[in-house]
Amino acid sequence: MLRAKVRTGDLSEARDIRRRYADWEFIEKQPPKIRAALIYYIESGDLYVASRIAGLTVEEFNELRIKANIPNVS
Amino acid sequence: MYRSTDFAIADTCFLIDWVRFRRRDLIFKLFKTVFIPESVLREIKSESTVMWVALNLASGNLALYTEVFDEVEEARKITELSRRLPGAISVDLPEALCMAVGRRRGYVVLTENRGAIMFADLVSDYNDVIVWRSLEVLLALHMRRLIDADCNNLSMLFREYEEDTKHIFPERDLSNGVEVLRRELCSKN
Repeated sequence: MLRAKVRTGDLSEARDIRRRYADWEFIEKQPPKIRAALIYYIESGDLYVASRIAGLTVEEFNELRIKANIPNVS
Repeated sequence: MYRSTDFAIADTCFLIDWVRFRRRDLIFKLFKTVFIPESVLREIKSESTVMWVALNLASGNLALYTEVFDEVEEARKITELSRRLPGAISVDLPEALCMAVGRRRGYVVLTENRGAIMFADLVSDYNDVIVWRSLEVLLALHMRRLIDADCNNLSMLFREYEEDTKHIFPERDLSNGVEVLRRELCSKN
């Protein structure tokens, strides 16, 4: 049976990719809560908590993630 | 007669990406029913996502999973334990609930959450829980020959998924997966 695996190094690699692809100009223009949530997402990759920080549903936050050009790395 | 692995339970993070995929209905070739916890319904808003979920709930491809008290309690314990284990990535309640259901009922857990994947590896009670990301779902579709694989371009479906969802598969995981597909599906021997 197939199983997903996570290696310790994966986390920093994923964070580097999110930082590199992110549209920082777009992020800087956002209101404080949204900006904080996007930065939290870049650092952690945790969509659920980021959406709670932004005060949005997960799907609304996911749309914002795409607008900010932040890839979901997993 | 169905096996428990004919069923899956998907968390919100998996589902909202998967719904953007142009070949999203392929998932129903793998699973008889994909359960979605009630909390997922609170997290979807766009017309296209809500419509896809509603139509598939109506046809029985998707089904609502209403959690019971004991499952929520187990999920709380998972979130606490994930924060106590050295080196573990924390698990939030929504995916913890899917892990609890996966352990109790044998459903495949569909999530992109790395904490949940790691938890299944680290905690012996959860070692038997099968956790898949979209990457494993796409691999399984190939392995079970539910889609035609193009041996000259085995990464095509994965690239389509990345394009539609702005999701990036870790390069090493993707190349390992494609290598397995090449061996299993395209080797002449």
